[in-house]
Amino acid sequence: MASELRVNTLKDAAGNNSIATSFVANGSAKAWINFNGTGTVAIVDSFNIASITDNATGDYTNTLTSAMVNDDYLYGGAASPSVSGDYARIYTPRGDGTTSDASTTAYRGECHQSWTANAEDNPAVFSLVHGDLA
Amino acid sequence: MASILKVDTLTGVTTAGSISVTGEGNSTTTNLQQGLGKAWINFQQKSSNVVRDSFNHSSFTDNGTGTMTFTITSVMANINYCHSGMAGEGGNSQECLSQAYTQTAPTTAAAQYVNAYANTSLEDPSLACRVLHGDLA
Repeated sequence: MASELRVNTLKDAAGNNSIATSFVANGSAKAWINFNGTGTVAIVDSFNIASITDNATGDYTNTLTSAMVNDDYLYGGAASPSVSGDYARIYTPRGDGTTSDASTTAYRGECHQSWTANAEDNPAVFSLVHGDLA
Repeated sequence: MASILKVDTLTGVTTAGSISVTGEGNSTTTNLQQGLGKAWINFQQKSSNVVRDSFNHSSFTDNGTGTMTFTITSVMANINYCHSGMAGEGGNSQECLSQAYTQTAPTTAAAQYVNAYANTSLEDPSLACRVLHGDLA
Protein backbone atom coordinates (compact mmCIF):
# COMPACT_ATOMS: atom_id res chain seq x y z
CA MET A 1 0.00 0.00 0.00
CA ALA A 2 1.36 3.39 -0.92
CA SER A 3 2.03 5.71 1.99
CA GLU A 4 3.16 9.29 2.44
CA LEU A 5 5.46 10.53 5.16
CA ARG A 6 5.70 14.23 5.93
CA VAL A 7 8.76 15.14 7.90
CA ASN A 8 11.19 18.06 8.19
CA THR A 9 14.34 16.27 9.32
CA LEU A 10 15.85 12.81 8.91
CA LYS A 11 18.25 11.33 11.47
CA ASP A 12 19.72 7.90 11.92
CA ALA A 13 18.27 5.73 14.70
CA ALA A 14 20.93 6.96 17.12
CA GLY A 15 19.84 10.52 16.51
CA ASN A 16 22.98 11.45 14.53
CA ASN A 17 23.65 12.44 10.92
CA SER A 18 20.77 14.86 10.79
CA ILE A 19 19.69 16.20 7.45
CA ALA A 20 16.75 18.40 6.58
CA THR A 21 14.46 16.93 3.96
CA SER A 22 14.93 20.17 2.01
CA PHE A 23 18.55 19.08 1.48
CA VAL A 24 17.37 15.69 0.31
CA ALA A 25 15.09 17.24 -2.30
CA ASN A 26 17.43 20.08 -3.29
CA GLY A 27 20.58 17.99 -3.25
CA SER A 28 19.32 15.14 -5.37
CA ALA A 29 20.17 15.10 -9.04
CA LYS A 30 17.00 15.62 -11.04
CA ALA A 31 18.32 13.90 -14.14
CA TRP A 32 21.40 12.13 -15.45
CA ILE A 33 22.34 10.33 -18.61
CA ASN A 34 25.04 8.15 -20.10
CA PHE A 35 24.70 8.12 -23.90
CA ASN A 36 26.48 7.16 -27.08
CA GLY A 37 26.60 10.19 -29.36
CA THR A 38 27.98 8.48 -32.46
CA GLY A 39 25.91 7.17 -35.34
CA THR A 40 22.32 6.77 -34.21
CA VAL A 41 22.46 8.29 -30.74
CA ALA A 42 21.51 5.87 -28.00
CA ILE A 43 20.82 6.18 -24.29
CA VAL A 44 22.95 3.70 -22.33
CA ASP A 45 21.32 4.52 -19.00
CA SER A 46 19.47 7.52 -17.60
CA PHE A 47 17.17 9.00 -15.01
CA ASN A 48 14.34 11.41 -15.87
CA ILE A 49 15.41 11.59 -19.51
CA ALA A 50 12.61 11.09 -22.04
CA SER A 51 14.64 11.32 -25.22
CA ILE A 52 17.81 12.57 -26.86
CA THR A 53 18.00 14.46 -30.14
CA ASP A 54 21.04 14.59 -32.40
CA ASN A 55 20.96 18.17 -33.73
CA ALA A 56 24.27 18.12 -35.57
CA THR A 57 27.81 16.87 -35.10
CA GLY A 58 28.48 16.80 -31.35
CA ASP A 59 25.31 18.81 -30.67
CA TYR A 60 22.64 17.07 -28.59
CA THR A 61 19.38 17.99 -26.85
CA ASN A 62 18.25 15.98 -23.85
CA THR A 63 14.53 16.15 -23.09
CA LEU A 64 13.33 15.65 -19.54
CA THR A 65 10.40 13.46 -18.47
CA SER A 66 9.46 15.53 -15.39
CA ALA A 67 10.00 19.23 -16.04
CA MET A 68 12.01 21.68 -13.97
CA VAL A 69 10.32 24.66 -12.31
CA ASN A 70 12.45 27.12 -14.31
CA ASP A 71 15.36 27.15 -16.77
CA ASP A 72 17.96 28.27 -14.23
CA TYR A 73 19.11 24.82 -13.22
CA LEU A 74 22.66 23.50 -13.23
CA TYR A 75 23.63 21.14 -15.99
CA GLY A 76 26.93 19.99 -17.29
CA GLY A 77 28.79 16.95 -18.29
CA ALA A 78 31.80 15.28 -19.72
CA ALA A 79 32.82 13.25 -22.72
CA SER A 80 35.20 10.34 -22.68
CA PRO A 81 38.16 10.18 -25.05
CA SER A 82 36.92 8.54 -28.25
CA VAL A 83 40.08 6.56 -28.95
CA SER A 84 42.91 5.41 -26.75
CA GLY A 85 45.30 8.23 -25.91
CA ASP A 86 43.06 10.86 -27.45
CA TYR A 87 42.30 12.98 -24.40
CA ALA A 88 40.72 16.36 -23.65
CA ARG A 89 37.21 16.02 -24.97
CA ILE A 90 34.60 18.18 -23.26
CA TYR A 91 30.82 18.48 -23.18
CA THR A 92 29.59 22.00 -22.56
CA PRO A 93 26.21 23.68 -22.18
CA ARG A 94 25.21 25.32 -25.44
CA GLY A 95 23.95 28.89 -25.73
CA ASP A 96 23.77 31.71 -28.22
CA GLY A 97 26.36 33.89 -26.48
CA THR A 98 23.79 35.65 -24.34
CA THR A 99 21.35 33.08 -23.07
CA SER A 100 21.44 29.32 -22.62
CA ASP A 101 19.48 26.90 -24.72
CA ALA A 102 17.94 25.32 -21.64
CA SER A 103 14.19 25.27 -21.06
CA THR A 104 12.14 23.70 -18.29
CA THR A 105 11.85 20.50 -20.32
CA ALA A 106 15.12 20.23 -22.27
CA TYR A 107 18.76 21.26 -22.32
CA ARG A 108 21.34 21.33 -25.07
CA GLY A 109 25.04 20.56 -24.95
CA GLU A 110 27.94 20.17 -27.32
CA CYS A 111 30.95 17.86 -27.44
CA HIS A 112 34.16 19.18 -28.81
CA GLN A 113 37.90 19.05 -28.58
CA SER A 114 39.10 21.28 -25.77
CA TRP A 115 41.70 23.02 -27.90
CA THR A 116 39.51 23.86 -30.88
CA ALA A 117 35.96 24.94 -31.62
CA ASN A 118 35.41 21.78 -33.64
CA ALA A 119 32.35 19.86 -32.50
CA GLU A 120 32.62 16.10 -32.70
CA ASP A 121 30.45 13.09 -31.99
CA ASN A 122 31.57 11.13 -28.96
CA PRO A 123 30.82 7.53 -27.99
CA ALA A 124 30.55 8.10 -24.23
CA VAL A 125 28.88 11.30 -23.05
CA PHE A 126 27.62 11.96 -19.52
CA SER A 127 25.54 14.80 -18.14
CA LEU A 128 23.84 15.70 -14.89
CA VAL A 129 21.05 18.09 -13.84
CA HIS A 130 20.59 19.74 -10.44
CA GLY A 131 17.93 22.30 -9.63
CA ASP A 132 14.29 22.70 -8.76
CA LEU A 133 11.80 20.20 -10.08
CA ALA A 134 8.36 21.54 -11.00
CA MET B 1 4.98 21.83 13.12
CA ALA B 2 8.57 20.69 12.87
CA SER B 3 9.06 16.93 12.80
CA ILE B 4 12.05 14.62 12.99
CA LEU B 5 12.19 11.04 11.75
CA LYS B 6 14.90 8.84 13.29
CA VAL B 7 15.62 5.83 11.13
CA ASP B 8 18.63 3.88 9.84
CA THR B 9 17.19 2.69 6.56
CA LEU B 10 14.55 4.03 4.22
CA THR B 11 12.82 1.45 2.03
CA GLY B 12 9.98 1.88 -0.45
CA VAL B 13 6.68 0.13 0.24
CA THR B 14 5.68 -0.80 -3.32
CA THR B 15 9.26 -1.26 -4.55
CA ALA B 16 12.00 -1.47 -1.96
CA GLY B 17 14.47 0.55 -4.05
CA SER B 18 12.09 3.33 -5.04
CA ILE B 19 10.98 6.21 -2.82
CA SER B 20 9.36 9.36 -4.22
CA VAL B 21 10.25 12.82 -2.95
CA THR B 22 8.14 15.86 -3.77
CA GLY B 23 10.02 18.37 -5.90
CA GLU B 24 10.74 21.97 -4.93
CA GLY B 25 7.88 23.23 -7.09
CA ASN B 26 5.44 21.07 -5.10
CA SER B 27 3.80 19.53 -8.15
CA THR B 28 6.14 16.74 -9.25
CA THR B 29 7.90 13.90 -7.52
CA THR B 30 11.41 12.63 -8.10
CA ASN B 31 12.92 9.27 -7.30
CA LEU B 32 15.09 9.54 -4.20
CA GLN B 33 17.39 6.62 -5.00
CA GLN B 34 17.95 7.61 -8.63
CA GLY B 35 18.87 11.17 -7.78
CA LEU B 36 21.43 10.43 -5.10
CA GLY B 37 25.13 10.52 -5.86
CA LYS B 38 26.36 6.98 -5.18
CA ALA B 39 30.01 7.88 -4.67
CA TRP B 40 32.21 10.95 -4.80
CA ILE B 41 35.83 11.84 -4.21
CA ASN B 42 37.97 14.96 -3.85
CA PHE B 43 41.59 14.05 -4.49
CA GLN B 44 45.05 15.30 -5.33
CA GLN B 45 47.43 13.38 -7.54
CA LYS B 46 50.16 15.99 -7.87
CA SER B 47 53.34 15.43 -5.81
CA SER B 48 51.60 12.83 -3.68
CA ASN B 49 48.27 11.07 -3.75
CA VAL B 50 45.86 12.52 -1.23
CA VAL B 51 42.18 11.73 -0.89
CA ARG B 52 40.83 14.81 0.90
CA ASP B 53 37.31 13.54 1.34
CA SER B 54 35.09 10.92 -0.20
CA PHE B 55 31.91 8.91 0.06
CA ASN B 56 31.61 5.19 -0.75
CA HIS B 57 35.24 5.17 -1.83
CA SER B 58 37.46 2.22 -0.93
CA SER B 59 40.72 2.85 -2.76
CA PHE B 60 42.54 5.16 -5.13
CA THR B 61 45.10 3.73 -7.54
CA ASP B 62 47.67 5.91 -9.28
CA ASN B 63 48.13 4.36 -12.74
CA GLY B 64 50.75 6.84 -13.90
CA THR B 65 50.80 10.49 -14.87
CA GLY B 66 47.27 11.81 -15.09
CA THR B 67 45.54 8.46 -14.78
CA MET B 68 43.86 6.95 -11.75
CA THR B 69 41.35 4.28 -10.78
CA PHE B 70 38.57 5.03 -8.33
CA THR B 71 37.31 1.92 -6.55
CA ILE B 72 34.09 2.01 -4.57
CA THR B 73 32.92 0.07 -1.52
CA SER B 74 29.26 -0.64 -2.31
CA VAL B 75 29.20 -1.60 -5.96
CA MET B 76 26.90 -0.47 -8.74
CA ALA B 77 24.25 -2.70 -10.34
CA ASN B 78 25.82 -2.37 -13.80
CA ILE B 79 28.55 -0.47 -15.65
CA ASN B 80 26.21 2.06 -17.25
CA TYR B 81 26.49 4.71 -14.54
CA CYS B 82 27.05 8.42 -15.17
CA HIS B 83 30.51 9.93 -14.49
CA SER B 84 30.86 13.63 -13.73
CA GLY B 85 33.78 15.67 -12.53
CA MET B 86 36.39 18.33 -13.05
CA ALA B 87 40.07 18.83 -12.38
CA GLY B 88 42.30 21.81 -11.74
CA GLU B 89 46.00 22.44 -11.90
CA GLY B 90 46.69 25.49 -9.78
CA GLY B 91 50.32 25.95 -10.81
CA ASN B 92 49.61 26.24 -14.50
CA SER B 93 47.37 28.57 -16.43
CA GLN B 94 46.23 25.82 -18.79
CA GLU B 95 42.91 24.07 -18.37
CA CYS B 96 43.01 20.64 -16.82
CA LEU B 97 40.22 18.21 -17.59
CA SER B 98 39.12 15.08 -15.79
CA GLN B 99 37.38 12.44 -17.88
CA ALA B 100 36.10 8.91 -17.55
CA TYR B 101 38.49 6.79 -19.57
CA THR B 102 36.05 4.35 -21.14
CA GLN B 103 38.72 2.85 -23.41
CA THR B 104 39.33 0.82 -20.27
CA ALA B 105 35.81 -0.38 -19.54
CA PRO B 106 34.51 0.45 -16.08
CA THR B 107 33.36 -2.33 -13.80
CA THR B 108 30.61 -2.26 -11.21
CA ALA B 109 33.29 -1.59 -8.59
CA ALA B 110 35.80 0.69 -10.28
CA ALA B 111 36.35 3.18 -13.06
CA GLN B 112 39.45 4.69 -14.59
CA TYR B 113 39.87 8.43 -15.16
CA VAL B 114 42.36 10.57 -17.03
CA ASN B 115 43.34 14.13 -16.28
CA ALA B 116 44.75 16.10 -19.16
CA TYR B 117 45.58 19.62 -20.23
CA ALA B 118 43.48 21.07 -22.99
CA ASN B 119 46.35 20.28 -25.37
CA THR B 120 45.79 16.57 -24.49
CA SER B 121 49.00 16.02 -22.50
CA LEU B 122 48.35 14.06 -19.33
CA GLU B 123 48.87 15.85 -16.03
CA ASP B 124 48.54 14.98 -12.36
CA PRO B 125 45.91 17.37 -10.98
CA SER B 126 46.30 19.28 -7.73
CA LEU B 127 42.54 19.03 -7.31
CA ALA B 128 40.07 16.71 -9.00
CA CYS B 129 36.52 15.78 -8.07
CA ARG B 130 34.40 12.93 -9.37
CA VAL B 131 30.82 11.92 -8.66
CA LEU B 132 28.94 8.81 -9.78
CA HIS B 133 25.19 8.58 -10.40
CA GLY B 134 23.42 5.41 -11.37
CA ASP B 135 21.96 2.24 -9.96
CA LEU B 136 23.48 0.82 -6.81
CA ALA B 137 23.50 -2.98 -6.62
